[in-house]
Amino acid sequence: MRNIYLIARREFLSYVATWGFWLSLLSVPLFMALGFGMPILIENSQPTRYYVLVDETGGRLEEAVFEQIARSREDQAEQVREAAREMLGDNPQLGAAIDNSMQLDNDGYIRVEAGTTDLNELRPYLTGDAELETADGPQPLFAAIFLSEPVPGRVEMAYWSTNLTDRDLRRDIRDALRDYMHLRHLVENGVDPALIEAAEDLEPVVRELNPERTDEAAEVTESERLPIVMGVATAFGLWIVIFSVVNMLLTAMIEEKGNKVLEMMLASARHHEILTGKLLGVAAVSATLLIFWGGLASIGGLAIQQLMAAADIPAAEILAALFDPALLGPAIGYFIVGYLMYGAVFLAIGSLCETIQDAQTLMSPMMLVMMMPLFLVMMAIDAPDSPIVAIASWIPLWTPFIMLVRLPQDIGMIEIIGSTLGMVVTAMIVIWGAGVLFRMGALNQANQDTVKSWFQFGGKKKAAG
Amino acid sequence: MSETILALDGVSKTFNGKPAVRDVSFSVERGQITGFLGPNGAGKTTSLRMSLGILTPDRGTVSLFGGPPRPAALDRVGFLPEERGIYRKMKVIDVIVFFARLKGVAPAEARRRGLQMLEEFGLAEVAESKVKTLSKGMAQKVQIISTLVHEPEFIILDEPFSGLDPVNQYALEQVVRRQAEAGRTVLFSTHVMEHAERLCDKIVLIAKGRKAFDGTVAEALGQVPRRVTLEIVSDHDLSQVLAGKGEVHRETQGEQEVWIVDLGPGVDAQDILKACVDADVKLTRFEPVRAHLHDAFVHLVGREAAAPEAETV
Repeated sequence: MRNIYLIARREFLSYVATWGFWLSLLSVPLFMALGFGMPILIENSQPTRYYVLVDETGGRLEEAVFEQIARSREDQAEQVREAAREMLGDNPQLGAAIDNSMQLDNDGYIRVEAGTTDLNELRPYLTGDAELETADGPQPLFAAIFLSEPVPGRVEMAYWSTNLTDRDLRRDIRDALRDYMHLRHLVENGVDPALIEAAEDLEPVVRELNPERTDEAAEVTESERLPIVMGVATAFGLWIVIFSVVNMLLTAMIEEKGNKVLEMMLASARHHEILTGKLLGVAAVSATLLIFWGGLASIGGLAIQQLMAAADIPAAEILAALFDPALLGPAIGYFIVGYLMYGAVFLAIGSLCETIQDAQTLMSPMMLVMMMPLFLVMMAIDAPDSPIVAIASWIPLWTPFIMLVRLPQDIGMIEIIGSTLGMVVTAMIVIWGAGVLFRMGALNQANQDTVKSWFQFGGKKKAAG
Repeated sequence: MSETILALDGVSKTFNGKPAVRDVSFSVERGQITGFLGPNGAGKTTSLRMSLGILTPDRGTVSLFGGPPRPAALDRVGFLPEERGIYRKMKVIDVIVFFARLKGVAPAEARRRGLQMLEEFGLAEVAESKVKTLSKGMAQKVQIISTLVHEPEFIILDEPFSGLDPVNQYALEQVVRRQAEAGRTVLFSTHVMEHAERLCDKIVLIAKGRKAFDGTVAEALGQVPRRVTLEIVSDHDLSQVLAGKGEVHRETQGEQEVWIVDLGPGVDAQDILKACVDADVKLTRFEPVRAHLHDAFVHLVGREAAAPEAETV
């Protein structure tokens, strides 16, 4: 135990002393901050667009367009409010916040008057050769939109702009015109406008119920789906952590072999102690990362909880669903076994190789093995009972990832216990086998050619060492 | 009565069908400096690895401090492998403390001893430097300190002189002598016989995986025929003059014709000189040739076996 502790400690300290560790530590919160901040930054950094709208029908189409846009925005706001209500319950403050965010002026498009409706006179403003006087000072013209109805029932929009990428304004006005045309067509054919409005408001009442429960309790809420979301997030998180950590193990092992330290170590500690020490040392590194990131997430979660509490939102219920011990316990177990399994394999690969280039040959098949769970997890989100997903759950190298997604869903205990047992037994075999390979590799009795020779079925097998 | 620290009994090891060590037996007694000699690829490193339990023998037994080479026994051993290297990114003192702690030395004591030994080896000023900043010679000294810092009873050095310049080879010989004087047992492998001849109480010769000799340096030298080289300017036939005193033959050395006398049992160089004087032989050269371990090795295993082999391990 002493040697395992000392080797693990040395490994841990050697990683903590590197720039890479600190970059990894800070990268996740940094990227999360960027992830949240970027859309806001992009939205705020987008310049205000000034456009001219010329209605050649004398204002009829213009009025209809803005009316339809207002109605469309209200529909969107109602959809967001409804989704929020399902997830978080009724909340007036939240509703007000949603209404505010859906205001028409928030798009950054401002209609201006150019003092002319003639395209030729507007053209210099559109091409940037001249600037239009606006309330914000002289500005280039983003677009000039001409609405007309040359033949009754045939509405036309001529959209003049040098910007070929930002098409939001064009889309909004086109949609509004289309809605107006549909409405007018119905009205002209004798349909009562009040009837149309009433028809548009018709919505089925959908109740999702769980047959395992009765009466009021049978209603399925959105918060009940959170464990599934959490399972998927945990599976991806596990994959990312294992992927990054095993690479650390691999490079450290190759470096150690290159430094020719292993034989000196072997005179003080046994192979299994070195192997275990290294695995634990790197596990401690990943645990440090996870604890730090988890700490930040908890602080963020607490802050959100405070906000939600102020808004009278059932935060405790949501957090309880997210941190359900029935999910967290297996997640930790799967993580440990998955890490040990992949870590041992990568350590063994490292011990067989002198350089990263040597390792790449052996890494390629392992990378394929590691990529598969990503696809399977995505498949398992929608179809946890798919035969492919069910079979893949029994493949021990993939069990940790797929079962994390399937656990919150309704699968049989036999499948859970059986696949977990298979995974644990396989992990033990893999660790034992990796120990044997490690011992051979550490003393140069085997190298990557040895592994290759195992797969030269029918061909001439090379002896290594 | 001497105590056996290490004993190999009928030990064999094969790699990929190629025997590296064949039925080797020898022992190392407490307080002795034992040289483990042989050309490259003779099986020395494999034998040493088996001695420490790093490799398991296919046949035979290894006894270290009276039992199998278990971890507790390893704490009493200091091992300097042939392939030398230490953690390049660590500080010198941290490397030494790390290896000392692996051998069971308390952290504070490990640090105290490490700093003291760095002082003794003239490396005190680099204690806090990273290993990667050291010269090769300095790094090798740090590794030697790491091998000795836990004050092992038994020191095993695998080709310790390889890669060292003559000054550092001499310094290392002094270290080995000091360790022996302090009562420690030393086993070192080498293919350079001169070091063994100067240092060892006992030698074990190995070639092509088999033991060729096991005994003292004097006993090994005793295996080599004693020889006298003579040059004369008179017309005597020395094969007749020295008849009965050994094997006499002529050979050419450079441009000179010389007589070589391999002394017979009970005959010494003085007897040859006296016989020549009595026969009025005009001598211009009389040179008793001192045998070296290399001669003994060649004599014992033959020239072919004494030549280096490709390393198997």
